[in-house]
Amino acid sequence: MLNSRKKKDLILQSITYFASFISLFVLISILLFVFLNGFKLLNMDLITHNFESTSYIADLKDFTGPGDFTIDKDFNDNTYYSSKWGIALTDDENLMGHTIVLVTYVHPESPFKDLRNKGVATQDLSLGIDYEIIRIAFNDGPSALSIQGAQNMIHVLDTKTTFRELEYSTSGGGIRGSIITTLYLIGLTLLIALPIGVGAALYLNEYAPKNRFTKALRNLIETLTGVPSIIYGLMGLALFVPITISLTKATGANLISGALTLAVILMPVIIRTTEESLKVVPDDYRQASLALGGNKTQTTFKIVLPSAFSGILTATLLAIGRIIGESAALVFAVGTAIKDDVSIFDKSTSLSVHIWAMMTDEPANIELSTTIAIIILVIVLSMNLSIKLISKRLLRKYGVTHE
Amino acid sequence: MQSKIQLNQTQKRHNQWLDNTIKYLLMGFAILSSSFIFIIAGVIMVKGVTPFITNNGGLGRVNLADFLTGTTWLIGESFNSNLYAIGFLIISTLFIAFLSLLISFPVGVLTALFIAKIAPKKLAETLRTVVEMLASIPSIIYGLFGAGIILKIVYDLSTLIGFQSKGGNSILSSVLVLAIMTIPTIASISEVAIRSVDKSIEHGSLALGASKTQTHFKVVLTSAKSGIFTSAILGIGRVLGEATAVSLVAGGRRSGINFNILDTTSTLTTMMLEGMKETTGLDYDIRFSVGIVLMVVILITNFTLNYIKRKVGNVDVK
Repeated sequence: MLNSRKKKDLILQSITYFASFISLFVLISILLFVFLNGFKLLNMDLITHNFESTSYIADLKDFTGPGDFTIDKDFNDNTYYSSKWGIALTDDENLMGHTIVLVTYVHPESPFKDLRNKGVATQDLSLGIDYEIIRIAFNDGPSALSIQGAQNMIHVLDTKTTFRELEYSTSGGGIRGSIITTLYLIGLTLLIALPIGVGAALYLNEYAPKNRFTKALRNLIETLTGVPSIIYGLMGLALFVPITISLTKATGANLISGALTLAVILMPVIIRTTEESLKVVPDDYRQASLALGGNKTQTTFKIVLPSAFSGILTATLLAIGRIIGESAALVFAVGTAIKDDVSIFDKSTSLSVHIWAMMTDEPANIELSTTIAIIILVIVLSMNLSIKLISKRLLRKYGVTHE
Repeated sequence: MQSKIQLNQTQKRHNQWLDNTIKYLLMGFAILSSSFIFIIAGVIMVKGVTPFITNNGGLGRVNLADFLTGTTWLIGESFNSNLYAIGFLIISTLFIAFLSLLISFPVGVLTALFIAKIAPKKLAETLRTVVEMLASIPSIIYGLFGAGIILKIVYDLSTLIGFQSKGGNSILSSVLVLAIMTIPTIASISEVAIRSVDKSIEHGSLALGASKTQTHFKVVLTSAKSGIFTSAILGIGRVLGEATAVSLVAGGRRSGINFNILDTTSTLTTMMLEGMKETTGLDYDIRFSVGIVLMVVILITNFTLNYIKRKVGNVDVK
């Protein structure tokens, strides 16, 4: 072989190496970025907490004076306990990265369990674990502030016999509402999209005659896949939102309209995936069922459909992945309001839109966004891997080997 | 005997009735799912045409020609005007799509070639999984990655050459985010095309004395070019339609055509996402008009690319 050609070949080959390692590099840097930034916020509190924190100013109700709440319990090094008031405080950082004083323990008989909302409403309050104390103000002397740390607060508290008011807030910054919204969306969307999609696939594969009408149906469904999701969002906004408003008690964009929009987005995916697995069901099965006297309906639903189970499962997993990842359509069809009390008749936001909402806010909250991204990535990637496993198993079942 | 036959007949009739009902029910599902393309088109048309034919609550009709060619977007209700123009958005959308394809197309196709033909089996399997994983990452995470990493890099880069960029929000950032989003799309579809190239064509080339690499580049790639073109069409469709990821890195430009890749930009989709507070009025309706334009842009681009694909010609690969 000529030397110059060898050189040329080598250069060409190495650019293919280079190009493919760009993909690898991109994947690794995305994963690194997401995990390095988001990992420190990832804990159970994040998942169980509300996003909005509520602040209260409270004072003591039926106050009898501090008592003796000595307990036999060990705390961490940076946790301080006041046996006079029965409360343990610690220094911490909240999900936004600010230093706070966190309540880690309240004695059951502590006066802090018996508080009253100081202000217009007479509302009973009670200090609980994980609440943030902002300040404690006294009649005599300066207030104890959270920026001075937990040790100082406990120290000041121990020298006093009463306080004028206590400002605290419930823990916020969590994503409980968005998780619930996402789960609702998954459930509702599958409830709508699966029957219609699987039904359409059954018709196209089992019943439809080979004519131009069937071909047109297939083409139209195929065309849907090329429509960008923001256009689906517009459709949801203009069609499904008014429909749900007139039929339910919803007053604006809501979870049902979002689920309907997602169902339309997922329809072509579900139909195609189900059809793929219907196609590999051997014809012998159908003929055997018909020969044994089963009618067409029995054959379809009792023989063919169960054989296509793995395809439907794949479609479901694909759909769940898409629902979790979808953002543009949901911005229109469900809205971007981050909610803690989720109702299916109200605006809300899924995990992906939560990221978008926080990133378009000023200032952008990259830390919490990447934490949510970890959750999304783990779910989506594990679904993807299970789809791979399922389809491999399906192919083996019918004796179709790869390639 | 008589009754048995009769029973059989009623059973048969019942079966037939059931079969037909189920058939028409399923057919209804199929028709419903395929009719959504018309429903989408209809709904968006009706809404999107409103700003051009009604008075828009005293603001006056939006002029269609100005809308399509102008270079300023004012938030109409707050400026109390009907001045919405998206000419500059159309141009910047196409510009960004073209640039990102310029990066993702060669990288994607070469990756596909590498996975399908050049790489050792183990490595190919790994890279295929990598591409699949990349394809399944939701676009919002690409946007987040762009906002967290690419913006910083672009910002530092522009400071290095003495350009004050708006925190890195720029055409370049949008292009990079979109490019890495489309690489997996292009790679996976091109790979299928490359694999389906007839082995005999390859063997012919090798028999004529061409080296393996020469065969891959000159014969395999040209034979698969129809499929590779399809991947580019799908890739550009994804680029044009992507909304949330770009909106995090584009910067939100409201007027003027801009070709400086370090300066801010907007696309049709990011403008649609902006300021979603309104629920009625011109500000709301105009999003549908932008939607129509977006669909038309995508259709025209697809049509043009398909035309080029036919012109470029087909090597027969089944």
